[in-house]
Amino acid sequence: MLFLELFLQGLVQGSIYALIAIGLTLVYGLLRVLHVAHAGLFTLGGYLGVLVTNASGSLALAMLVAIAVVGSLGMAIYRLCYQPLLEKPPFVALIASIGLFIAMEELYRLIFGPYGMSYVQPPLQDVIVFAGLSLKLAELTTMAIALAAVVGLALLAGRTRLGLAWRASVTVPQMAASFGIDIVRIRYLNFFIASGLAAVAGVMVALLNNLVEPTMGSVPSYKALAIIVLGGLGNVRGTLLAALALGVIESYGTIYLGQLLDRDAIAFAFLIAVLMVRPQGLFGKR
Amino acid sequence: MKKHVLMLVFGALCAAHVAGADTLKIGFNAPLTGFAAADGKSALTGAELAVEQINAAGGVNGKQLELIVYDDQASPKEAVPVANRLIEQDKVNIGISGSYSGATRAAAGVYQAAGVPYISAYAVHPDITRSGDYVFRTSFVGEVQGRAGAKLIGDMLAKKRVVLITLKNDFGKSLAAGFREAAGQFGVNIVNEYEYSIKDRQFGPIVAKVKSDNPEAIYASGYFFTAGPLVSQLRSAGIDVPVIGQEGYDSQKFIEIAGAAAEGTIITTSLDRDSNAGETRDFIREFEKKAGYKVDMVAASGHTAVKVAAAALAKATSGKALRDAVAATRLVASTGEISFNDLGEVRKDVQVQVVKNAAWHHHSTISDAKLLAPPMK
Repeated sequence: MLFLELFLQGLVQGSIYALIAIGLTLVYGLLRVLHVAHAGLFTLGGYLGVLVTNASGSLALAMLVAIAVVGSLGMAIYRLCYQPLLEKPPFVALIASIGLFIAMEELYRLIFGPYGMSYVQPPLQDVIVFAGLSLKLAELTTMAIALAAVVGLALLAGRTRLGLAWRASVTVPQMAASFGIDIVRIRYLNFFIASGLAAVAGVMVALLNNLVEPTMGSVPSYKALAIIVLGGLGNVRGTLLAALALGVIESYGTIYLGQLLDRDAIAFAFLIAVLMVRPQGLFGKR
Repeated sequence: MKKHVLMLVFGALCAAHVAGADTLKIGFNAPLTGFAAADGKSALTGAELAVEQINAAGGVNGKQLELIVYDDQASPKEAVPVANRLIEQDKVNIGISGSYSGATRAAAGVYQAAGVPYISAYAVHPDITRSGDYVFRTSFVGEVQGRAGAKLIGDMLAKKRVVLITLKNDFGKSLAAGFREAAGQFGVNIVNEYEYSIKDRQFGPIVAKVKSDNPEAIYASGYFFTAGPLVSQLRSAGIDVPVIGQEGYDSQKFIEIAGAAAEGTIITTSLDRDSNAGETRDFIREFEKKAGYKVDMVAASGHTAVKVAAAALAKATSGKALRDAVAATRLVASTGEISFNDLGEVRKDVQVQVVKNAAWHHHSTISDAKLLAPPMK
């Protein structure tokens, strides 16, 4: 029973990782930029979730506002920060991204204060007991959202013209452009979706912890990088599986290796072990 | 005309310089940015309040106090240059740490080497005062509070099967060490111990395991930003045994984060909200007016440390004489009656607080001098 509970808790954590890392892998796939500031957008999602829910009483509204605002900000980051740097070597954009992330954290601290914020009446707190296993409604919702996001993305990419254009822009950008695909529009869309997913993750994490802090993104900022490397850079399905696998491994690791290894160390030990055997990541192609 | 302006400016500068020489300077390092900024801000506000109160009452022997503040981000590598700057450039008479253990330990060595007294307001690591005879602490070392926790659980609450959830840093580890040391004495059996990192907010796996351990009480170290999510997650998993924490929980934010789950949480700390002591009541009222939010332990600790520094500055203003004046402190502050042992560790009672109706309230006081004896060397 404990074994199953730990597995379930691992899936919850893995779903959060997935929501954050999928956005990151989308950006990497399209631009070959390691978008560290993505974690700053995740934090903003958390703040908006708490602020709007506390003001309006509606989590659904908060979710929509968070997606719209954070998604737009993601597009703005692309336009103002990455686009001018695309011709430069990739580390230039990476450093810009790290700088942006630190600035965002301190900006949140200045705007929202250092104490963090909580939902006054956190929604989705009911506990569901099934076959002796218990889960909070918020945890269940997080898993459902992660699943829906992946299925939605797969449908968008595989079943629509827009998806076709998107995939073409990722694999052969010049060719796609010469066939009349508006690559810039695709990039905006890409950033909107990626950032929107981070916003959703932020709202849900804020709910699970009932706390948003300016530094909430600091762990995801680097752990998500490990996950997208594990998943085979730019590979959405691989990223999902890597995120879930990492969540579950961390869950068992916290209990059985906790005295030896930090939870965060477990992620990187796993990363090193995998890369030694499969340098292209768990699900990447060589 | 231009000449007049210059004269005026020059005059003003002279006046400022004279005023500068006439103040007594207290150096203050605290995390004002980064993950610990909330505690740093509270400690600073408490310290500022003490300075304002003392200055309004005429200062120290007619001289005004001046608080010189730098951000150390709770990081040892920031704390060392900050300490150097305070001592060399600002020429402070005495220093206060409103920071965590790592930063305080690093700065303590600098103050000791310079022969400037240094008071740690709320950092818990035992090595801080071991830096030398110029270093003092107005709060409990982790071990003392850990021992108080063991007495609280084993003796006062009569719970014997206990699980430890330990924050993996100086604070949590020294608390756990003190708890383990005294556990046997109160018949407490530690069933299991789990560790977590300060960045963790999701405790799902630990909660699941604790549930299967089925303890009678949980001794969990942490700060309000880790303990809030932890207690809330323990309660929603249906674990309803007492959770015992420490001064790191001591903030209204803990109650805001954990919500209804916070009710009944018991902690060992330095501040008694329901105290009848005039100094404490006065501090709580004035702090909440100044800060605009509910009082917490670090604020009271920052306030206490400044009061101790000011009392010593009234007797001497630098070097060995000032150090001796701090060592001889006997003072009633917002966190109780303060005196130091030979190592510079405070001797005072442990306050036990409990969450009732979404606020911290008096539970009991532990005043067992033998159990609470701070380390002597």
